[in-house]
Amino acid sequence: MKVMVRGQETFISTGGRAFDASGNVLLFLHGSGQSHLSFMLQGRFFANRGWQVLTPNMPAHGLSEGAALTSIEDMADWVAELLDVLNVASANVIGHSQGGLIGLELARRHSGKVKGLSQVATALAIPVNDALLGMAENKEVAAIAAMTDWGHGRDGHRHDHTMPGQDHMNYGKQLMAANETGALFADLTACANYAGGADAAAAVTCPCQVILAQKDKMTPVKFGLKMAQALKVSDPVIIAGAGHMLPSERPVEVNKALRQFFEVN
Amino acid sequence: MSGDYKFNTLGLHAGHTPDARFGSRAVPIHQTTSYVFQDTEHAAALFNMEVGGHIYSRISNPTVAVLEQRLAALEGGIGCVATSSGMAALFLTVLGLCSAGDHIVSSSQMYGANINLFEHTLSRYGISTTFVKPNDLAGFKDAIKPNTKMVFGEVIGNPGMDIMNVPEVGKITAAAGVPLVIDATFNTPWLFKPLEYGANIVIHSLTKWIGGHGIALGGAVIDGGNFDWGQNDRFPTLTEPHFGFQGVNLWEEFGPAAFITRVRTEGMYNIGPCLSPTNAFHLIQGLETLGLRMERHMANTVKMLDFLANHEGISWVKHPNLPDHPDHAIAKQLMPKGAGSIIACGIKGGRDAGRAFIENVQVASHLANVGDAKTLVIHPGSTTHSHITPDAMKAAGLTDDLVRISVGLEDFEDLADDFNAALRIAGKVAGAAK
Ligand SMILES: Cc1ncc(COP(=O)(O)O)c(C=O)c1O
Repeated sequence: MKVMVRGQETFISTGGRAFDASGNVLLFLHGSGQSHLSFMLQGRFFANRGWQVLTPNMPAHGLSEGAALTSIEDMADWVAELLDVLNVASANVIGHSQGGLIGLELARRHSGKVKGLSQVATALAIPVNDALLGMAENKEVAAIAAMTDWGHGRDGHRHDHTMPGQDHMNYGKQLMAANETGALFADLTACANYAGGADAAAAVTCPCQVILAQKDKMTPVKFGLKMAQALKVSDPVIIAGAGHMLPSERPVEVNKALRQFFEVN
Repeated sequence: MSGDYKFNTLGLHAGHTPDARFGSRAVPIHQTTSYVFQDTEHAAALFNMEVGGHIYSRISNPTVAVLEQRLAALEGGIGCVATSSGMAALFLTVLGLCSAGDHIVSSSQMYGANINLFEHTLSRYGISTTFVKPNDLAGFKDAIKPNTKMVFGEVIGNPGMDIMNVPEVGKITAAAGVPLVIDATFNTPWLFKPLEYGANIVIHSLTKWIGGHGIALGGAVIDGGNFDWGQNDRFPTLTEPHFGFQGVNLWEEFGPAAFITRVRTEGMYNIGPCLSPTNAFHLIQGLETLGLRMERHMANTVKMLDFLANHEGISWVKHPNLPDHPDHAIAKQLMPKGAGSIIACGIKGGRDAGRAFIENVQVASHLANVGDAKTLVIHPGSTTHSHITPDAMKAAGLTDDLVRISVGLEDFEDLADDFNAALRIAGKVAGAAK
C-alpha cells in the first residue's frame, strides 16, 4: 500500500494481505541500500499467519519517493511518523542490519511504539570503512557488488536458493540498483555516524530477541553478541553457516525464530 | 570486486549443495511428479509462495531447479525457469508480457520457428510483429509503438550469422521503456552474456551447445531483473493484480523477480511445458563442460574457416569472424572469443554438388540440429528447400549451393580428411554437370 509520510508517497508491503491497524503488527525495517524485498520471504509468511505486516521502503528506497534520510535518529522519527499515519499505536519491530539501529533508536525515542524488538544480523554500531563509503559515493555499482558479495554466505555464493530457480546475489544486486542513486551512500553515512547504540540499548525496556548469522562479514557475530548483552538477551540465536543477508538466505530458520519470539510477545 | 565464482566453477557447482543425508556429489535425478507435504500448514505455505519448495513437477522440481539456478548464475540473471524446449521458452516469455492487441518488434533474421511463431501463430491471437533487420538500429527505434511489449532477436542470427548490436539496441529499448529479449542459443554465456550489455531477458534452446551431447531437448527463460516494470502502465501482466495468490501484485511483491515469477505461476501452471527431471540431469552434465567444449568448438571453427577458405571446392565462406562478413566489426567487439561455431559455405557446382557433399561425409552427420559435440552438416537446397527455385531461395537469404556446418569437437585432421573426400566427389558432380 502507499501512504503519505512527510508529504512523500511511501510504499509499504503488507505481505499480500489487506492491513488492519487493530491487529498484532510486525514492522520490518530494512538495511542499508535494501528495500522491502529483502524481507520477501518473511512478509507473506507472517501475513498469512495472522500478523499485520508492515515492511516500509525508507524514502528513496524501493517504491518510496522522497530524499534519503541521513541519520539513524531521523529515520527512527520517520518510522514513528509512519506508524502515526497508519494509526498503529505500537508494533513488534524486526530490524535487519541498519534497520536494527533504527529499531534501537525507535525503542529509545518512541518507547511506547515498540512492543517487542527482534534484532537480526545487526549490532550496537555499524562502522563503515572509508573504501566502501568512497565506492558508495562515487562508484555505486562497485559498492553494490562488494556488499552483495560480503553480504552472502555459502548458499548465496553457491547460487542455491530455497525458491526454485532464483539467484541470491544477482537478485540482491538488482534490488539495490533499483533504489535511487545516492540512497546507499546516505545509509552508509548514517550508519558510520551513529554512536547512540549503547545508550539506546540501555534504555530499551521491551522484550528483545537477537538473531545472528555465524558467517556474517558485515556485522560480525562478536558485535552482535555485545548487543545481545546490552539488550539483556541471554539466548541469542546464531544461524550456522549463514551470511549477513540471512532473511533471504535462511528464511526457514529466521522465520522459525521470529515466530517463536513473537508468538509469546 | 564481486567475489562470484568464475565461469567454469559456476558451471560445475552453482545451484547445488550435496544433501545432508546421502551427500551425493552428482546432482540427483528427482524423478517424481509430486512431493509429500510435512503437514497442512507446509502445504498451504507452498501454495501461497510464502516458502521455497516443490509441490508438483510441472511447476518446479529439485533437479530442474539446479539447472535453473546454474543458468541464472552463468548469465548473471536473478532467476530462471527451464522449459521442455527452446520454443517453449520463447512462448512463455511472450505469454508473460503480451496480450491480444499487443505488438512485438523482432529481428527478421532468425531461426525459422521463432519467425513462424510471431508471424503465423501469435498473429492469430491478436499479437502482431514488426520485423526489422538485426543491424538496422533506426529500424528498431521506428518500429516501437505504444503497445510494443518486447523487442526480440538472436545475437547470431540464422541463416547469414547476422550479428545483432545488442548494446545499441539495448539503449534504444531502455529509452523506449520496452524490455529487450535475446535468444542466446548460438552464443551461449561463454561467448557473450546479453544481460551485461543491455538485454533484460535471455532465452535459450538448451538442446544445442549447452547440452552439447544431442540427447535431450530443453529450454530456459532467464530474467535479468534489470527492467523497471513499474515505470509506465505498459505491463499490466506484472503490475496489476495477478489472478493467482490472492491477486498479488507481482511487481510490488517480488520486484526484480516479477517477470520470472509470472513465467512460473502462469506459464507453468496454465500451459505447462516443463522440463523432465532426467532431461535436466542430462543438460546439467552438458553445462558442467560448457567452458571446455566452447574453447574447442571455437578452436576447431578457426581451423575449419581456414580449411574452407583455401579449398578449391568451396566457392564462398560466411562467418562473422571473417573480415568480409558485413557484421565482422561488431562481432569482434561483442564476441572476442569468436562468433560461434556455425559456418555457412558454398559448394562449387550448386545444388547437385551440395547434395553430393552431404551424402558423402562420414564423420560429419547429416541432420537438422546445431551445437552438438559432433560435427553436423545440412544442405537446405536438397532438404528443407528442395522444391524451392534458386531465385526464391535467394529471396530468403539462401543459395542452393549453401551448406551449413556446425563445427564439433573431433580431431580436426579427421574432419579435414572427411571433408576433402566428400568435396572430391562433389567436385566430380560439378565437373560432370559442366
Ligand atoms: C536460435 C534457436 N532458438 C531456438 C530454437 C528452438 O529450440 P528447441 O529446438 O529446443 O525448441 C532453435 C532450434 O534450432 C534455435 O536454433
